[in-house]
Amino acid sequence: MRLLRYTLYRLLQAIPVLIGVTLITFVLANLAPGDPVRFMLHGQEVDEELIRTVERRYGLDRPLHERYLVYMGGVLQGDFGHSIHRNRPVLDLMLARIGPTLLLVVSAYAFALATAIPLGILAAKRRNQPEDHVSRIVALVGVSTPSFWIGIMLILLFAVTLGWLPSSGLVYPWWPPETYGHSGYGEHALETVRHLLLPMIALGTLQMATLMRVERTQMINSLQGEYVKLARAYGVPERTILRKHAFRAAQLPIITIVGLNLSTALGGAVLIEYVFNINGMGRLFLEAIQQLDYQLIMGITIVIGTMFVVGVIITDISYAYIDPRVTYGEEE
Amino acid sequence: MTDPLLRVENLTTQFFTEAGTVRAVDSISFEVHEGEIVGLVGESGAGKSVASMSLLRLVESPGEIVAGEITYKGRTIFGLEETADGSLSERPEMLSEEEMRREIRGNEIAVIFQDPMESLNPVFTVGGQLREFIELNRGLSKRVAREEAIRMLREVGIPDPEGRYEEYPHQFSGGMRQRVLIAMALACEPSLIIADEPTTALDVTVEGQILDLVDDLQEKYGTSFIWVTHDLGVVAEICDRVNVMYLGEIVEQAPVDDLFYETAHPYTEALLESMPRPDLTVEEIQSIRGVMPSAIAPPSGCRFHPRCRYAREACKRVHPDPRRVATSADGETHRAACLRHDVFESGYEASAPLEHATALSDREVERPPGGEGGE
Repeated sequence: MRLLRYTLYRLLQAIPVLIGVTLITFVLANLAPGDPVRFMLHGQEVDEELIRTVERRYGLDRPLHERYLVYMGGVLQGDFGHSIHRNRPVLDLMLARIGPTLLLVVSAYAFALATAIPLGILAAKRRNQPEDHVSRIVALVGVSTPSFWIGIMLILLFAVTLGWLPSSGLVYPWWPPETYGHSGYGEHALETVRHLLLPMIALGTLQMATLMRVERTQMINSLQGEYVKLARAYGVPERTILRKHAFRAAQLPIITIVGLNLSTALGGAVLIEYVFNINGMGRLFLEAIQQLDYQLIMGITIVIGTMFVVGVIITDISYAYIDPRVTYGEEE
Repeated sequence: MTDPLLRVENLTTQFFTEAGTVRAVDSISFEVHEGEIVGLVGESGAGKSVASMSLLRLVESPGEIVAGEITYKGRTIFGLEETADGSLSERPEMLSEEEMRREIRGNEIAVIFQDPMESLNPVFTVGGQLREFIELNRGLSKRVAREEAIRMLREVGIPDPEGRYEEYPHQFSGGMRQRVLIAMALACEPSLIIADEPTTALDVTVEGQILDLVDDLQEKYGTSFIWVTHDLGVVAEICDRVNVMYLGEIVEQAPVDDLFYETAHPYTEALLESMPRPDLTVEEIQSIRGVMPSAIAPPSGCRFHPRCRYAREACKRVHPDPRRVATSADGETHRAACLRHDVFESGYEASAPLEHATALSDREVERPPGGEGGE
């Protein structure tokens, strides 16, 4: 019950944040040089009157604050406007592209967590021994190598040289297998994974490296805790100490980092989608910027902003689940 | 006399650091009999905690027990023997790590640590932690262990134990957490509890309550205690026999009354004088001069001689071991490691007093008798 109230409270707090995000983006997009109508015309000479008619049609002749309010009114009703460049509703464009991006980001995190936590624990347990040194080097390389470069190298090695994995595109598991000419769900699943593997590793490596170091430090601290000493003195097996007593208390910063790095991951997804030729939100965003497609830029910004805010809220809430010391706001 | 519950002989624990070998515990011997509270007293760094963790064989790296023998209820917790090629190896009857974990830690020898704030895991409920240890050490089912945990929480004076069972450590006060740790120790039904400065982190009033509680429960359960502390006031209150440690060694060993009234070692004497007393102002309290020297390179001869007001030339040369200096009325031995006692025959009387010692004893003379007035 307290947790539910805390969740609602945090969601309410997200509203002013989102208003700020949309307002700033709206103003910045309008301050950017270039006139969208003229841009659409690709420099053709046309009647000034025609331009004004088009501007009127899209409401571009109205003052900025008015346009913002009209726009936000639409957003609240699920209307993100119309892409002037693509002549399609922004919502449709985004819905078509959000799936691959989410698939990519979520699997990158899954990869990062699945590797970072065991490796971090191993490094903590075997502190200053070969395993620890290897993990330190892996982390250093992972943090300092740009994700797109990792992507290119993975393509070179696994797709071009070895020919094991495809170099571009994704298979969407939510589409029926027949779309791809797959014989059944088995092949469909396999192909999904095969396509996902390289971009997932390319995007997830940075997160993996960061999380691994944090996990190691946290586990070392936790293993030196008095409560671990106490558990040992009461005959708790070392395995249980590692998996239960030391582990749980050590996971709190991991959750924080996952939440806060969401923005890095979404940013990284833009590059990875480019490298792997994936039709996701990131690529759509880049194209929208190049085409000065205001409505699309706004729409994607709102969606990514919301995803980030929701990510942070989920972080906070799971923090409250795991750490009993977190108060839910009303006690202070 | 019956066999003691715990016998420690020449226990030596060292830490192998880059700066050198730290002789944290240097050949100490003591016994704990059934149902008694034995004090282990000394300043910080005297080796009390290392000694107590050695009893569970839980000395943390780079520390290691290098010599001595620990016998508990006739079983060998630690013991070395010389092999054919002259090197030392563990005796075959010495308990394995697995046996220590299963059969000794928790269910035979339990501990209470100093810091109740840190000793409980912040992310698990108090009841859950208690229940886990009970399950593990007494082989009870979850349900029975839970009932037992609640019973023990009530036993140590925690109000509404059913409700508080589900709460987390941060919802408990320091004194209440220390009660939880005491409940933990008793609930595993050990024969010996090592209490490592359990009241140091608490307020004086709470400390009093905890001491009373331990006194009552000790009587009720008949558990033996090793009470590690730097506070002679606490010792006077609850201990039966006392071991005074200085720089890794036991320097005096006596029944509690003898220790206070027939003090046989200058260090104990100094400790007693340095205790805050209501009739003395801060200036009048005789603090012990200097700091404890490093355990890497301890002073030659008697380790206390650089801070001792009775130190003479002989004290720099001869290293005293604790020897019997008196026997109390009920036949208990009083041991001290000080050359001033006749049993040592070290030529103490004949040797010249050391310069610093003269200065220290001069300071003593300046002090007005009976502690009246000031300087």
